[in-house]
Amino acid sequence: MPVHPTIARAFARAVGGSKVRERAERLAFADAGHGYDAFGLHPDFVAIGDAIASPLHRRYFRAKSYGAENIPATGPAILAANHSGTLPMDGAMLWIDVLHQTSPPRAARPVADYFVATLPIVSTLFARCGVVGGSRGNARALLEAGELLMIFPEGVPGIGKPFSERYRLQNWTKGHCELAIRHGAPVVPIGIVGAEEQMPQVARIPAPKGSPLPYIPIPATLVPLPVRYHIHYGEPIPLHEEFRPEQADDPAIVRDAAARVKASVQALLDRGLELREGVFR
Amino acid sequence: MKAVLVTGATTPVGERLVRSLIADTRVKHVLAVGIEPREQAAPLPFGNRLTYVQVDLTRTRKVRELLFGPARDLGVEVVVHLSQHRDPNDKGRRVHRVNVEALRSILDLAHRHPTIRRVVVRSFAVVYRVGMELPVFVTEDHPLNLAPRAPQYVRDRVEADLTACARMGLSNAEIVVLRCAEALAPGTGSQLYDFLDAPVALRPMGFDPMLNVATIADMVCAIEAATHGSGEGVFNIPGYDTLPLSEACRKWGVPSVGVPGPLVKRLYGLRRRVVGSQFSYGLNRRRLHFGLVLDGTRAREVLGYAPCHPVDWPIGAPAPTSLPSAK
Repeated sequence: MPVHPTIARAFARAVGGSKVRERAERLAFADAGHGYDAFGLHPDFVAIGDAIASPLHRRYFRAKSYGAENIPATGPAILAANHSGTLPMDGAMLWIDVLHQTSPPRAARPVADYFVATLPIVSTLFARCGVVGGSRGNARALLEAGELLMIFPEGVPGIGKPFSERYRLQNWTKGHCELAIRHGAPVVPIGIVGAEEQMPQVARIPAPKGSPLPYIPIPATLVPLPVRYHIHYGEPIPLHEEFRPEQADDPAIVRDAAARVKASVQALLDRGLELREGVFR
Repeated sequence: MKAVLVTGATTPVGERLVRSLIADTRVKHVLAVGIEPREQAAPLPFGNRLTYVQVDLTRTRKVRELLFGPARDLGVEVVVHLSQHRDPNDKGRRVHRVNVEALRSILDLAHRHPTIRRVVVRSFAVVYRVGMELPVFVTEDHPLNLAPRAPQYVRDRVEADLTACARMGLSNAEIVVLRCAEALAPGTGSQLYDFLDAPVALRPMGFDPMLNVATIADMVCAIEAATHGSGEGVFNIPGYDTLPLSEACRKWGVPSVGVPGPLVKRLYGLRRRVVGSQFSYGLNRRRLHFGLVLDGTRAREVLGYAPCHPVDWPIGAPAPTSLPSAK
């Protein structure tokens, strides 16, 4: 997918208009030379992502965000959210919401499962928009560079959770808290309401041997339903102020911190469910 | 004022380093070592401060005679080891002796040498493992490519790197290992240079990994910094240019075509047999899928090295605004 940035820029301008162009021009990113950062992010491709995802965010899912002032304007932070919906539309909607809600715009760096890097075209397009593989080294480098990491601690089990388990957080990994303590970053808990009903999963088929995919989902609908997204940003949890970096090695501290983040996300989900008037409203 | 011994002095990096050291007022004498006879080492700037000796480093006795002969007589304090077999398609015991055993001999002898205080070993970014589960931006503690099925070109470089690392703290001489980004220049054994020098660059379809490439000038700067520095350790030496593979092709002026993975391997195999190209797809398969950019923070903080010589791309490049080591 060797699309030249000039073509990407022209496409983004044609599809997204002046607001998309302005956001791309104001985007804060660490240029490693030649217009790309060391992980492959390029503002013109962020603009493409913006141009494509904005109509979905604004018109199809009619996303509403609450508490966006909790996203740090500068410096490192970890955005920890619930994950669901068979297709990772929640990741795309959160990414675009953060881009729109921050000034100057910040492109959150979604941390993807390893298999994403093996997918042709998708891996390249995602990398240009800021997605990185979920290795500790990548997370360390990005946090040290003051970036916003977007982590879904439920991982693939979250996105594949059955409909009956919606809004019940699955096994909550702890690595994000270890990273936050070690690299001095606050954790912003995020509850995404709506995504869990967008594409109910009725079954899953084991992926063929050798396939990079973890499984093949069988959803009840061919495309995500036009549910309304409610994105609730909680107050940052200042783990970096409560603990010293070396305490990131203490399993009990990390476990308790992860439990706090999980409880915060669950509380945001519960509040969001109470506030919303219906799945599509 | 110190005397410096440079192995691989007739290679493009070695020759440039020798010139630079001779111009350096902190260096009183350079002992340049190559496999070629003196007449074939013509590009070297012969003069009062340069001595050239022809030595086959695969023979331990010759190495001993070198270090305890002219090197001792000149009071050599620093050995810079650049000698490596450059064709990745060559295999066998002799290649291993050039790549690994020569370094082992030098390290053994430097331990008990009366004047040698420091050994600078040029290693390569190719020693790092590349994969979907590994970071793109790599520090010195990144896993090494210890795959038993890796080509000898890689295994030898990993073994040489580890051989030097294993002596750190145990030898009387300080040992510095510089893991250098690939120099995009002819004659350096650069796989990327050979990849880009083809009429058409074939890439695995749908992948466009990030690369970091260096120049000989930056590599010489890093080696000089290590030559005059103190302390030992392993350092990543990144280059100035960090960019995706497709962008490198574009700036080089070579059309790049995405080809399905199994087909690209066959096409490169065919190309190698027909035109004798050095580029080996098997050696670079993972690098053409997953990114690898060296983190030069440690080299900047300890050695004071920061890349400052961009590649002279045939098609103009914009000036980078920050450097990979600044991350």
